Parts: sequence; structure tokens; C-alpha cells
Amino acid sequence: MLDPRTKLILALMAAAAAALTDKPAAAAALMAATIAFIIRRGALKPFLRWLAMVLPMAVFFGLVTAYGAGKAAGMLAAIKLAAITAVFFAFFIATGADELGDALIGWGLPFEAAFVFTAAMQFVPVIGRKARRVIDAQRCRGIPMEPGWRAVRHWPAFLIPLVLQCFRLAEELAEAMAARGFGRPGRSFTRTFRMKVRDWTALLTGALLLAAYIYCQG
Amino acid sequence: MIHIRQLDFTYSSGSGQKALGNICLDIEPGRYVLICGRSGSGKSTLCRTFNGLIPHFHPGKMEGTVTVAGRPTSETLVQALFDKVALVFQNPEAQLFSPTVKRELAFGLESLGMPAARIERQIAAVAAELGLENLLELDPHKLSGGQQHLVTLAAMLALKPRILVLDEPFANLDGRHVQAIRRILARLRAEGLGIVVCEHRLRPTVADADRIVVIDRGTIVLDGPCRRVLGSDLRRYGLQVPLAVELSRKLGLQKIHTDLQQVASEAKDIPLQEVSPSPRATGQQAGDVILSTRHLSARTGGLTILDDINLEIQAGSCLAIVGANGAGKTTLLRHLNGLARPSGGRLLLKGKDVTRARASALARHVGTAFQNPADQFFKLKVSDEIAVTPRITGNLDQGWIDELAQRFGLEKLMQRAPFRLSAGEKKRVAFAAALAGKPEILILDEPTAGQDADFREALGKTIRDLTETGHAVIIITHDLEFAHSQAGRWIVMAGGRILRQGRPEVLMADRQLMDQAGLEPTERFLWQRYCAGKKRCLTPGPS
Repeated sequence: MLDPRTKLILALMAAAAAALTDKPAAAAALMAATIAFIIRRGALKPFLRWLAMVLPMAVFFGLVTAYGAGKAAGMLAAIKLAAITAVFFAFFIATGADELGDALIGWGLPFEAAFVFTAAMQFVPVIGRKARRVIDAQRCRGIPMEPGWRAVRHWPAFLIPLVLQCFRLAEELAEAMAARGFGRPGRSFTRTFRMKVRDWTALLTGALLLAAYIYCQG
Repeated sequence: MIHIRQLDFTYSSGSGQKALGNICLDIEPGRYVLICGRSGSGKSTLCRTFNGLIPHFHPGKMEGTVTVAGRPTSETLVQALFDKVALVFQNPEAQLFSPTVKRELAFGLESLGMPAARIERQIAAVAAELGLENLLELDPHKLSGGQQHLVTLAAMLALKPRILVLDEPFANLDGRHVQAIRRILARLRAEGLGIVVCEHRLRPTVADADRIVVIDRGTIVLDGPCRRVLGSDLRRYGLQVPLAVELSRKLGLQKIHTDLQQVASEAKDIPLQEVSPSPRATGQQAGDVILSTRHLSARTGGLTILDDINLEIQAGSCLAIVGANGAGKTTLLRHLNGLARPSGGRLLLKGKDVTRARASALARHVGTAFQNPADQFFKLKVSDEIAVTPRITGNLDQGWIDELAQRFGLEKLMQRAPFRLSAGEKKRVAFAAALAGKPEILILDEPTAGQDADFREALGKTIRDLTETGHAVIIITHDLEFAHSQAGRWIVMAGGRILRQGRPEVLMADRQLMDQAGLEPTERFLWQRYCAGKKRCLTPGPS
């Protein structure tokens, strides 16, 4: 198992490779390799759901580029964007946010900053559940918040309770953290990460591949 | 351990009124103290002074002293006290901030700078004590409400504090989980830990506590051994005493008992008499069927979450849907008000098929008041908040809204922002808002959760008024005492199925059914059964 920092650097290298290419086939090949990895991890379904959200954005980006730089450049831009985001999707299914946070502490990131990053990821589904509850409560009051353009007209009914509850949650969370000693000096860590030979080997291989790739690009 | 002398506290963000006044209190390890009082009396504020959250986290004007293990909290940071006085808050969702249960339990120990091997040992010990061994690698946010409560408790116990403070630990828990936490607390107390429980419900705690502190408008009004405090009139402080205590007093027994068996044993030679009329549980003289389901079922992710649900809801009736956590009560609610579409069966409104109707379209007929009113408030004035549904459905009747305001005691609050009201006031606004569109059916989701005796009494009266005017009321609740006093019919659920429906007395008499549903009979029922052999009965007052 690789260190989360190694995985992060490898993901950055793969994203750089996708960003630097000017051949749609190369970006598509990188995307295909990433999808193969995602399938191997058994995360195809969530990836397809995520792709459904990202594709319109990639198409829009491609259209804007095509408008200024031509059809081929537009297609390349869309594929590159999809490939880069796929790489980071793969990274996050292979690496827990808490693992990454803990590993970055090993590189000198303050615990508080790492915790904020981890907790933010942790609370995304919690906020999602809260949003669902707000929508349900308003639908039961006759506010048409079912998906569709009519729901947009009633945005305050969704946004105001949700934002107020997020503030409340943040306050309660901060209180609960203080009550468990958050911010006390001299903290210890049950999980620490150390770069091993296999990490350095993987990084060296990745760096050589990226250098060769850049060289081939001319 | 905790010594409080002449403590006054005023929140800097509040109205300027004292939240606590002239508090003097000592709490020692090995004792079980129950701090009780009506909603907004200052219980939670007092709890937050025990570990320094007040004044360090909640700024305000503090006079007097609070010392923990000899250290004044005003000069000591919370981070230096948290392993001595551990505070478990009411809302588990906001206390779980780690990706796994194990990491959650490790958080406080890591804050103490403990070596990893010792942390592992302490986690293993506390997990074994609370039966969490199989949950250690799971995401705490994906656990049931009862399990989340246990994890928050374990996270604090792992610190091995001297005093454990729990703010409303039994809210939203079913009978089985309440008993589990009671047993754990009793064991911890026997091991020498000091337990402080803040509650307005006396029933789950009163038999275990050895001291009761009653707080009212921020000051301590009663403080002493359990039996002595229970001998006082606690109703005037918004507290509902357990039936055993009430009966001990009414029967003039020598001792105040907290257990009905003891009352029955001492009262066996006393001739019983009727001292107060039993409140009328509604539903006996119901009218036409308004809402019904036919073989309703629902599936998600290959699992059956509702199975062959058949029920009829009649005008002028009050129905309670009861069951343990995870029984399917909320899922059923979501199908009755159109929030969820069933995978099979039909939902009929006055005989018309509304299975595919949108929740927003059904709102004209089915009003729903959810457990957390904060999910719905978005207007700046209570008056506008109440009028949301009728304005959308086009049936605004100002006279009816004024009547609702009067009925729920909201006249003086109509121009205030709903976000700034107390918890009880918010609930009342949510009920008024659910009724403003004149629905024939009102669904109340856990209406008594976190509410004191005053509120329960007012709510009971409102439900009776509504059923008398032909509304159907559906209560979804863990609070069986309230359900027993209000609903003429119960639906008992478990595993997404209706186990049985009928009169509560008949259902509670079926011990096998109650066991299967994870429910315990109400005190009222137990006493009625005891009295059944007597010529005349002593019946309790409203719950």
C-alpha cells in the first residue's frame, strides 16, 4: 500500500501529463487507464454518477475553446478536462481524506489545517442530508421544490434554512471539538505515515514516465 | 470536584437577562445528580459552566466562581479540563467528526498526547464496555441514532473523566436504548464516576439518581435527595413526575416510590378511589376514512423497507405510529404525505388514488410538522411563516390564522423572527404553519421530543381540539406515555411491517408483540392492569 503523499504526487503527475498533451488520443488513453483503475476498485457506479455531472461542464469548456481556437482544440480541451477530473476521482477513491490529512501532517502541515480539510470532506454528506430534509419540509408545506424550473423561484425557502443550520452545526461542532481538547498543545497521533522504499520507487518510476512523455510530446 | 459559588451568568449575545443567577452547587465523583427544569430554564447553560465552555466558548458576563479540581474555570482553558469533566451534548450529529468510530474514540486521547499503544488499549476497553467492538471501523454518521449516542458517550468515557455530564441523553431514543444507557450509567456510577444528567423527563432517570437539582429561570429552586425533592410540587416547574411518584403522593404512602411495583406492594391494603378523570384518548368516535393505504410497499437497494402496509385514517381520530428506532415509522410518514413513492400498493385520499401525487400537491390535505422546525423557517416574521402554505395553495384565511395564533399562544410572537424563538415556541409555530392551509390530516413527527410537561399538556389539548373539529391527527413517536394519553389507536411497527394495530391497552397487553417491537408498556397501562382486580381505580391525570 502506497503512502497517501505518494498517491497525491502520482495523481498530480498524471494530471500534468493530461494537461500537457496536445493529442486527443493520448488524453483519451489516460482517461481509459484511469477508468480501468476505477473499475478495478469497484467504483464504476459512483464514477458514472460523477461523470454525468462533469460531462456538461467539459462539453461547455470544449465549446468555449472551440469558439476561439477551432473544433479540434475544443474537443481536446473537453477530453483533457474530463481526464484530469477522472484522475482526481480515482485518487480520492484510493485515498481517504483523513489518511491524506494525517500524511500531510508528516510533511509539517499543522494539525488544525489538516483537520479542517478532513472534517470538510466528512461533513459533505451531512450537509447533503440536511439539504434533503429542508427540501422535504418545504414540499410538505406546498412549496413546489420537486426538481424543475419552478423550484428555482423558491430558492430562499431552501437556502435560508440550510445556511442557518450550517452555521448552527458549525457552532455545535466547534463546541464539541473544544470539549474533546481540540487545540491543546502536545497532541499525539495514533496513525503516522512514513515514506518507504516502494513509495520512492513509485515516485521515481512516475517521474521517469512523465519526463519521457514530455520528451515524446516534443 | 466541581464547586460553584454565587454564580451569575448573562450571555453577551442575549437579551441582557441573566441565564443563571446565584447558583451554588457541589458535584462529587461517585454521585448521580439529576438536573431538571422546564425548557429554557438554564440546564444546558449550567452544564456548560462545568468544563469552562462558559465563559471561554460562550462569552458573557460571569460573576461568582466555578472550580474544577481546585482550578477556577475562568482562568483555565476548556482543553485543560476536558479529561476531568466530560460533557456529552444533545445532538450526536454535531459531535461526530471523524471518519470511523475508532478515530472518533481516539480523538480526545490524542488531544491528551497519549502514546498510540495506550490509546489502542483504552479504545479496546471502552468499546468492549459499551458493546461497540463491531462498529469500530464504520462511519459514525451512518450508524443508527442509538448507536451514535453510544459512540459519543464512549468518546468521552475513553478519557476516563471523573465527572460525566450528559445533556438530555434520552431524547429521541426508544425504550430499549434508554434502558441500555441507564444500565451503563448505573455501572459507571458504581465504579466511582460522577454522573450528571440534565433532563426535563424524570421517568428514565429518577430511579437511578441519588440527588435532584431543580432549576427554574436560571436559579436553583430545589436541591436534595431524590425522595425529598420528589415530595415537592414539581409540576409548577414544568416537570412531569413519574406515575409511581404521583401515586405515592396521592395515596399518602409513607415513602415516595419511583417504581410502580413498590407502590402496588405498599398500596395493596389501601382502598383505591378515583381522584381524577382519565383524559379522553381520541379516536373512539371517529368519522369517515380520509386517508388509507392498500398493500403499500417500498424497496430501496434491494431491501424491503415497507411491507404490505394497510391502514385507514378516519376523520376526528388520533392515531399513533409506534415502534423502536429503525422500525419504519418515518418511512411510512414519507409515504403518507407524498414525499416518497411506493414501489407497490396505493395511497388513497378520500377514496381517490393519490399514489403518484407530489408532496407539494398533497400539502393542501396533509399537513406535516417535522421534528426539527428549523428545517422550514425562512421568513422574517412568524405571521409570514405561518401563512406560507395557504398563500401557495391559494386558500389564505386570515381569520383562521388569527385563531391558530391564539390557540398556540403565538399572538405576541407574530412580528418576531422565527429563528430567534425558543425551542418550544418554534414547535408551536411549526404546528400552526402545518395547520394554516386547513388540511384534513395533521402528521406530527416526534412532537414531544425535547419538550417539557407544559408543552406536552398544551399539545395534548390542541390534539383533542383538532380531533373534535374533525381533523385526523397522526403522531409518530417514541413517547408511548404521550401516545397512550392521546391516541385511541396505535399502529405497532417493526422491520417495515405493521405487526398489529388497535387500542393501545389491547396491544400493550400482548407481551410477545411488545417484545417483538422493542417497546415497553406505559406506566399508565401497568397501573391500570394492577387496578383491574380492584373494585375502583385510581386513574392518573393527563400525561
